[in-house]
Amino acid sequence: MNEVLRHAVDWIWLVPLWPLLAALVIGLRMLLGRTHGDAAEPATSRLVSAAALAALLGLLLVDLAVLRYGWPGHRAVWDWFGSDAWQGRLSFLLDALSLPVATTFALIGWLVARFSASYLHREPGFHRFFLVLALFLGGIQWVVLGGNALIVFVGWELCGVASFLLIAHAWQRPTASGNALFAFIANRAGDAGLLFSLGLCALWVGSFEWPQLFASHLPLVDLRVLLLGFVVAGLVKSAQLPFSPWIGRALEGPTPSSAIFYGAVLIHAGVYLMLRLQPLLGQLPDVAAGLVLIGALTAGYAWLCGLVQSDVKSSLIFATLFQVALMFVAIGLGWTTLATVHLCLHAGWRTWQFLLAPSWLTLTRARPAPPPSWLASRQWLYTAALQRFWLDRLGDILIGQPTRAIAGDLRALEAGFIDPAIGQPGRGAAVDEQRPLVRADGLPGRLLARLSGFLQRIENRLLLHGRGGSGERMLREAGHWLRTLEALLEEPRYLMMAVMATFVVIL
Amino acid sequence: MLKVLVFMPVAAAAAVALVPGRHPLLRWRLAMLCALGALAWSLFLLARFDPGGEAFQFAWSRAWNVRLGSYFSLAVDGLSLAMVLLTALLTLVAVLVSRELARGARLYYPLLFLLQSAMFGVFTARDWSLFYVFWEATLIPLFFLIDRLGGDDRQRAALNFFLYTLGGSVFMLVALLFLYDAAPGHSFAMADMAAGGARLAPAMQLLIFGGLFIGFAVKMPVVPLHGWLPLAHVEAPGPVSLLLSGVLLKMGAYGLLRAAETLPAAFLATQDWLAALAFVSLVYGAVLAWRQQDLKAMVAYSSISHMGVVLLGIATLNRTGLHGAVFQMVAHGLAAALLFMIVGLLYQRTHRRDLADYAGLAEGAPRFARCFAAALLLAIGLPASAGFIAELHVLFGALARWGGWVLLLGLAMLLGAAYGLRTIGVLFAAGSNGPRCPDMRRSELLGAALLLAVSIALGVWPRPLLDLVDGSVARLAVLFGG
Repeated sequence: MNEVLRHAVDWIWLVPLWPLLAALVIGLRMLLGRTHGDAAEPATSRLVSAAALAALLGLLLVDLAVLRYGWPGHRAVWDWFGSDAWQGRLSFLLDALSLPVATTFALIGWLVARFSASYLHREPGFHRFFLVLALFLGGIQWVVLGGNALIVFVGWELCGVASFLLIAHAWQRPTASGNALFAFIANRAGDAGLLFSLGLCALWVGSFEWPQLFASHLPLVDLRVLLLGFVVAGLVKSAQLPFSPWIGRALEGPTPSSAIFYGAVLIHAGVYLMLRLQPLLGQLPDVAAGLVLIGALTAGYAWLCGLVQSDVKSSLIFATLFQVALMFVAIGLGWTTLATVHLCLHAGWRTWQFLLAPSWLTLTRARPAPPPSWLASRQWLYTAALQRFWLDRLGDILIGQPTRAIAGDLRALEAGFIDPAIGQPGRGAAVDEQRPLVRADGLPGRLLARLSGFLQRIENRLLLHGRGGSGERMLREAGHWLRTLEALLEEPRYLMMAVMATFVVIL
Repeated sequence: MLKVLVFMPVAAAAAVALVPGRHPLLRWRLAMLCALGALAWSLFLLARFDPGGEAFQFAWSRAWNVRLGSYFSLAVDGLSLAMVLLTALLTLVAVLVSRELARGARLYYPLLFLLQSAMFGVFTARDWSLFYVFWEATLIPLFFLIDRLGGDDRQRAALNFFLYTLGGSVFMLVALLFLYDAAPGHSFAMADMAAGGARLAPAMQLLIFGGLFIGFAVKMPVVPLHGWLPLAHVEAPGPVSLLLSGVLLKMGAYGLLRAAETLPAAFLATQDWLAALAFVSLVYGAVLAWRQQDLKAMVAYSSISHMGVVLLGIATLNRTGLHGAVFQMVAHGLAAALLFMIVGLLYQRTHRRDLADYAGLAEGAPRFARCFAAALLLAIGLPASAGFIAELHVLFGALARWGGWVLLLGLAMLLGAAYGLRTIGVLFAAGSNGPRCPDMRRSELLGAALLLAVSIALGVWPRPLLDLVDGSVARLAVLFGG
């Protein structure tokens, strides 16, 4: 047992791998057409549950090992790829922050996988749901356990894609796919921030590893810029202001997915990233103050909006947002332990609530509480809360519409100028009337046609190839002259002259 | 062993000529047997060849004209052996697809074997005078093959071809005589001449090199000495243009590689000019090929472009580039042979060469269309074809020396893709009632499959060929400090 415990940490890389393997197997089964009918369902759901359980057990084992041998810290497992300055490593950072959170998330993942098996029974897309769920479970473990920003980014993207796929689970409904797209694009803004910071890490620090990043003594100005990307990523993922609207649209997916994504796990990824970056945040009080401000504003926003919601899921999501905003406030104030504990407790509690949401009505049999009188009496505030402070419309006007306009312009440019300039295969004018199949379109094509015409003329003119070309004519003329010369030489007088000339030269 | 290789086809020619005219099938079978025998013998040589051993193996030498210092001397190194194998394989394919040859078969097979004998001789000769004799000996069968069995314009094409190459070889002969005169020891043996030539003053080397280069450049062909090629290729019967582009063009490149051993200083001095000529050939051939709607003319011009790759590889004078050049010789030999074979067979059936006449070929004759498409893809140099490996080597070799100029090579490849894909598009055009012609027979399909298989095998696993020629290439590259 001791041996197993001592080496448990060496197998930590299996934790995120189990769910991904499960996803792979389900994908293969779907490709091979083995997923039809009721009989195929238990295999899929059991596979994901088993993978989630394996991840959970692996983490528990590592936790036990921690109790015995202390925190393992940073572990590099494998060099993934590298350039001369930096290395993409598969590494893990196992400390008092990552292990509790990872264990909590793994537990939630396992429970949700178990819950979904019966919840989604005979639903269309049963196997698809489990495949994406497995992808997500793998991705979130990369985010939490990852020992460097690159691995975190990989997990971050996996979670983003999984979230997109689950929101659009009922893709036949236009609202579902539209909302999925909205959430995905909003999340891409955060991904851009993360990528930006990754680039700066490679450039300034020369490494993506968290410990090296924390130990790097960058100038504060540089550090602020570097941190800003991470902060934006965190704010987006945790749906803080001004990125909050996407979370409201993200509830389209099946209930278990809403639970795990937006109620419990994914929304905490941003908080987790901020907690991970605490050593850097501590150096930059102004960024921390910004976090407090944003957290407080979001909390107020979520509170007011939550008061006027009339359906279960929306109320829950604003409640979640409120709690998450409080975590940001705590992080900004430097109370990281409180934030961590808050995160774990809130995740567990909210999962339960979300999973219960569909049965809420039958459980309580009560009407939702009306908004408090002070809010109801202030008409403008009530309207603002009901409209979620018009953030959605504001985003559309400020970002959506200009983007659409630019896209339209670009499309016009493409159709009006670039397409004709580049040309399309099989279109355009023939280079020669006798060769209708040889066509040239666009600028390069016309240039080529011109060049080929020129070369063809050379070919026909100067070389013997051409019929009656000048080369042939010149040869014929030369032959004529030679024949004349020969005829002259055959005459005795010129022959004698030639012989005498030879003698003169020799003498 | 090599004299068996060189003279076996002569015996084959005699045997085939003795078969009476009323037994065409018997004659074909006998010819197949002889071609298979030549291929088997070359494979036997390959098996006995030791790539890590002596540079030239199976050497056999007899004094020929002692007073002049010329020897009947044969030997092979890896480069020669690769060319010998290519020759044997392509001759076999040429015989394989000639089963339906209607007229002139009594003339055709003996001439074909005489041609094979001369080509073997060129690739195995270790004496410049012998090399020259064999070089000229290829002309005679080819002249009659084109002149007697070619298309409508065959007489002009044959004469044109003959005059061009003869004109080129006159320069070569003069250069060789100069070299003989200048080299101490007065011997025509390649090794002696290489030893003598390397010591010559650069100016003299340049002069001699100029003569040799004209001779080889006509054969390769290099723009602007390519005038014979489009006409000869277009007019020659299918199997002959297969050999013409598959092997005969390689003789020029082979000779150039041998000349590089003899006159290193001249090569170093003209390296950039050779590359310039190669780039011109590349682009010129590709642009004109793009413009053609006559299938045979298109393939002929694409040959010019592809041989430009060989010249570019030789001009790099480094190991990578030379490897690429040799590989391209083999790769183009296979791909161009396949293309000419298919075009020739189609012409034999329909007497048409215009692309427009073959629109929708895939419906009437799917085997033809598929083989044609595959051959075009090979010629483009798609990954997993031998051409890809060759072009990649040349690209790397040339990049080290000329940097951004290799973009021209990329341009030529792009144009190659343009006309290749255009042709494929027309062949597979749906809805048009394609030409009515009988599809490929089994023997023809076998020939095509053989070429395709070898080309793809070399593209996927190029190592054996690279290892085979590595000795020759390394020996050459050392001369130039590569």
